[in-house]
Amino acid sequence: MRDSIYLAWRYLRHHRTKTLLLVLSLSVFLGLPLIMRAMSHATQQSLLSRAEATPLLLGKKGSSLDLVVETLYFQLKGAEPITKADVDALQATGLALGIPIRTGLMARGFPLVGTSLDYFPFRKLRMTEGRGLAMMGECILGAEAAEALGLGPGDALLTSPSTLFDLAGVYPLKLHVVGVLEPSYGPDDAAVFVDLRTAWVAEGMGHGHQDLSSAGPDVVLKRKEGTVTANAKLVQYNEITESNVDSFHFHGDPSSYPVTAAIVVPHDEKSGVLLRGRFVDAETRQLVRPAQVVDSLNKQIFRFERVLRIVVWTVGLATAVMFVLVMVLSWRLRAEELRTMKRLGCSRWKAAQIMGSEIALMVGASVLLAGVFGIVMAQYGETWLQTLILRGS
Amino acid sequence: MRMARPAPARAATIVMMAAFVATVVGCSKKPDPNPAADPMQPAQTSIYAVNYPLSYFAERIAPADVRVVFPVPREIDPAFWKPSADAVREYQAASLILLNGAGYARWTSYATLPQAQIVVTADGCRDTYLRTERSVRHQHGPEGTHAHSDLAFTTWLDLRLAVCQASHIRDALIERMPTAKDSVSAGFETLARDLLDLDERLRNLGQALGNQPLLASHPVYQYFADAYGISIQSLHLEPDRELSDDDWKEVDAMLERERANWMLWEAPPLAATEARLRERGVTTVVVDPAGQSPSEGDFLSVMRANVARLECATGVKPCR
Repeated sequence: MRDSIYLAWRYLRHHRTKTLLLVLSLSVFLGLPLIMRAMSHATQQSLLSRAEATPLLLGKKGSSLDLVVETLYFQLKGAEPITKADVDALQATGLALGIPIRTGLMARGFPLVGTSLDYFPFRKLRMTEGRGLAMMGECILGAEAAEALGLGPGDALLTSPSTLFDLAGVYPLKLHVVGVLEPSYGPDDAAVFVDLRTAWVAEGMGHGHQDLSSAGPDVVLKRKEGTVTANAKLVQYNEITESNVDSFHFHGDPSSYPVTAAIVVPHDEKSGVLLRGRFVDAETRQLVRPAQVVDSLNKQIFRFERVLRIVVWTVGLATAVMFVLVMVLSWRLRAEELRTMKRLGCSRWKAAQIMGSEIALMVGASVLLAGVFGIVMAQYGETWLQTLILRGS
Repeated sequence: MRMARPAPARAATIVMMAAFVATVVGCSKKPDPNPAADPMQPAQTSIYAVNYPLSYFAERIAPADVRVVFPVPREIDPAFWKPSADAVREYQAASLILLNGAGYARWTSYATLPQAQIVVTADGCRDTYLRTERSVRHQHGPEGTHAHSDLAFTTWLDLRLAVCQASHIRDALIERMPTAKDSVSAGFETLARDLLDLDERLRNLGQALGNQPLLASHPVYQYFADAYGISIQSLHLEPDRELSDDDWKEVDAMLERERANWMLWEAPPLAATEARLRERGVTTVVVDPAGQSPSEGDFLSVMRANVARLECATGVKPCR
């Protein structure tokens, strides 16, 4: 038997192009369903585990999927915001902890997430470098964002302008990186976290400027009855530092400022039920269970997977037919070779063993290749597929 | 004839190793963060306050095993303190953070603090906060005029308001430590009694003063004046600094408008200042707002001394 395997191996090595093509075709045929299944399972689990770890979400009435995707995975979907007052009111019920989430801006390609300190222990995020947020103007980077940008504590990061050609719009805010989070293998890795008020400043709802009470005539248009009117020369700060942080302020009532959604963490099961009851008939707000929303998304993915499976099996069948055809043609072409083997004293059984070994080696190599590829994709393709699905939904 | 078989053996070994490595990589479990070791979780029950009165109230109300911390250095006015990031991190780790409200301690508006731990003690104690007399309003851009930090914030000088603030501390403590409800309630009751006794004396003082105006060296007595019906006109003078000619002109102008016999100071003024005020028929009275911890005594003893000095100076009660 060993001799047969050796001869089969030498033959396959000699015809390496043909062998390689056949092995690759077979690998694709065998691997595709495996890869698809593994990745789909991993993605569904990953999506579901984050959703299940988020008890409830409070947001504006509308698409619950957009709300969940934007708040949990930081993919900008244009979910209508609620206000900070909604989060405060929720907190005031004493039934749950409300963690505000403000998305909408980017910082060098990574989503800028404005939130409160409660977010970090809630998601079990820990620092690997530096410290947590302490002052307005500071940011914490997710592990992936820090690595991609090559930034760490002590560095600075500019927010991306929301409208590139709007000269009168909001200018980028320079953020001070104070910490980097440990990898969490989720959307938090690719996010830039700031205090909620820093997010509002970055959006242009708050600002800091030089002290007008002591400003010179080149800046002041008029002073009248305790009111100072400044002209366009007034220096507005694009960076929050220890020396100018005092001058930053918000016009209007910050409780009316936008919050994309609030993660709602009920104190106990009863509180959760009571809260859900309060929002059943709410006209402009919704309290959704992310696990339910993601579950329905997973069902859609599963339906799509079934269609794909039919396509894959069709392609697989064609590949198998092609493989058989190639082998039959190959044996016909090798008729002279088989005759020579017979003249040398090789039995028909031995010849069949050699041919069988060739097929077994090729199928074996294809199975291995497909298996390795499937495992690697399940491990590393998860985030890629997750992003692909969420961006496309 | 013996056949050499190194090639298939080598190939098989490589394939096996690749499969083993892939299996190990594929099956390795993702690291699971340990929530128990989270540095952002408070290690023990502690209360951090932004000013001394709140710290004092908390000490009087909270059970003995609760750590009450007021970390502002004694030489700094807590209203204008700018904490370091490390100091803010200390506040973040507290079980309860006591803010005054009314825009007091501006640093709390730009520091990142956990909302769930914050109690704004003066919120809900009044319909509206009082405004300072001098606040520069300004305008830039299309938003209209606005002013920064123009709320008066020495709320605790209205002692009923102080009791209300203390009641919010009591409620927050009971919510967090329901088993200590009795001791917390008892602590609050005795504190409230002490404060309301003084409040009663101040109300009598206000009635005795009637419409007689008082001057104040600094605009910190808004709630005091409002609560006890006392007319107080404020200047911007520092007790440890000699008054300039402009300052004296301002004092004289004020005295011409309001014939005041007494002037309230946050701390004893310089002897020269006191003498020149006496020449103008004005008696200085120290009414320490006690925003910072005193070098001697505590909040209650400082307030008692304030009231006694006022009663003595105005003749409402004999001097001791």
